[in-house]
Amino acid sequence: MKFVTREQLKTWLDSLVESEYDVVAPRDVDGKVLYRPIGSAEEVLFDYERPDLSAKGCFFPATEVLLRVEQQGSRVTQEEVLPDRQQVIFGLRPCDAHGAAVIDALFLQEDPPDAYYRHHRERTTLVGLACPQMWEGCFCTSVGGAPDDATHLDVLLREVEGGYAVEAVTEKGEAILEGLTLEEREQKPGFSGKTRFLETVPVTEPEKWRPLFEDKIWMRHGERCLSCRICTYVCPTCRCFDVVDRVTGVRGGVTHIERIRVWDACTSPNYRRAAGGHNSRPTKPDRLRNRFYCKFCYYPEDFGPLGCVGCGRCVVSCPVDIDIREVMQDVAAAAE
Amino acid sequence: MNESITAEIRDKARELLDSEQVDCVIGYEASARDGARPAFIYDPVDVDRLVWNEHCVHNLVTYLHDKKKPQRRGEEPQRVAIVVKPCDSRAVNVLLAEQQIARERIYVIGMACEGMKDAKGESQERCIRCADRVPVIYDVLIGNPPTVDPPPEDYADLAEVEALPPNERLAFWLRQFDRCIRCYACRQVCPGCYCTTCMFERDDGLWIDAGIELEQKHMFHLGRALHLAGRCVECNECERVCPMDLPLSLLNRMLTREVEALFGHRAGREEELSPLLFELGEDGSPM
Repeated sequence: MKFVTREQLKTWLDSLVESEYDVVAPRDVDGKVLYRPIGSAEEVLFDYERPDLSAKGCFFPATEVLLRVEQQGSRVTQEEVLPDRQQVIFGLRPCDAHGAAVIDALFLQEDPPDAYYRHHRERTTLVGLACPQMWEGCFCTSVGGAPDDATHLDVLLREVEGGYAVEAVTEKGEAILEGLTLEEREQKPGFSGKTRFLETVPVTEPEKWRPLFEDKIWMRHGERCLSCRICTYVCPTCRCFDVVDRVTGVRGGVTHIERIRVWDACTSPNYRRAAGGHNSRPTKPDRLRNRFYCKFCYYPEDFGPLGCVGCGRCVVSCPVDIDIREVMQDVAAAAE
Repeated sequence: MNESITAEIRDKARELLDSEQVDCVIGYEASARDGARPAFIYDPVDVDRLVWNEHCVHNLVTYLHDKKKPQRRGEEPQRVAIVVKPCDSRAVNVLLAEQQIARERIYVIGMACEGMKDAKGESQERCIRCADRVPVIYDVLIGNPPTVDPPPEDYADLAEVEALPPNERLAFWLRQFDRCIRCYACRQVCPGCYCTTCMFERDDGLWIDAGIELEQKHMFHLGRALHLAGRCVECNECERVCPMDLPLSLLNRMLTREVEALFGHRAGREEELSPLLFELGEDGSPM
């Protein structure tokens, strides 16, 4: 295996920061662990659990300017704003890379691909760090992932005695590692033995969801839902958005307008509100049901992958204990 | 779990449902993760799901807004029994004063409360500060209130922030708001936030646009706090549910303190409107 020490990684990260890359890594932000841009390797957390938010904002920003428009009388000019910075996400957990692959199925594999998303993804290199164990709420192994899954990463690091085992997964990964001196070691990377795999969460096939649309499961779990957006915003695969225009100023007779794309959430009451005020998902259970159907029925049927990577963030952050694992168990039982 | 109190809640719920005095009992059920979570009971056979323990943190009054409209057109809205702690009960008073709920449609199961703990077993900040042991409004009181000396009103943490020079105080708050993800959990959980269309979620973006950026988050949080001035019952649910740990109670308590100092009003202690809420007459003066 290829081996590197933490100090060597830090030196390499600092050199990346100095070069043309934006480097994003897990940081302690007032007690929260968040993937954030770094100015120096000193800010990077190496021993962390699961960052509190996924990394999807790095290629699907919560707010993104799509167009800048200037209007003066009847004259309108438009300028497309496409991202051009190269970025490296360091310390990405495998579930978050898996989440990116899930979003790719919609934004990249469908024709036409989403130009903005594609620009971000093409310019992003994913350097993952395997989880030494599974965390509270995690169930990646039930939905096709693993704490050391390299599949959707460009580079996978695994903590080993004295440093990290380095595996370049893609050509992009090999390219980013060029500045790093790797030592060849005999030892094989493996789990330190700390890994515990939590009980398996059952995944019910999409076609078996169809008859359960009116099941009492949705009332039972959905009635206490607050219709907030926590679960969808912490989720590495939720990718719904809204597009709105905003006036950013009027200067010298010219109106400056931005067309922005912002995150949206199907759990939100006005998500399904149509012209005229009709709402086809007027109640909390209607909306919560959609979230689960999207993940395990609609998305796999329409785009391929499951819409869940088992990161467990929605489990630990729901203020009223709506637990996706419990819902999946109830669905499996009802589908029997 | 407190078994005798749990049994009393179940008995009362069964009685209310059996006698068809109410259609639904909103209380707490066991939760493997959090100890307790909100539960909606419609059938007397389900009342044994109800529990009472030290993790009943949620302010259930927010769910009364879901019961204002009938389930089906032409029907009457449901009559609801609701389990409330002292802090929650103040929200019932606020909603009564604001004519959001009808007293005769609500049966209030008041709980004597010694304070609640989070899932880790630590007392919640709001409970450490709170001296209320008995709800301000109830139809039945369950549990025996412990007699305790009320703790002195403690605004030490607030004073720390207020002592900062204005530019540093702004920097403190912007740093907090920066973490916000605009998930609206603070608004959704609040019994006092029930506008049909939130002014911060208007399609026309009149006050702030839909962007999830510092400018909008700053505006949202200050607006949210101000709209609750004189209406916030200090249940602190907004802070509890915040996934980014924003110290929202500092804003709420500052306004609570100001409103009390200026108007002698503490939200929900009585069934009366916030002095900051009034109608303007035709000549522009308060009616």
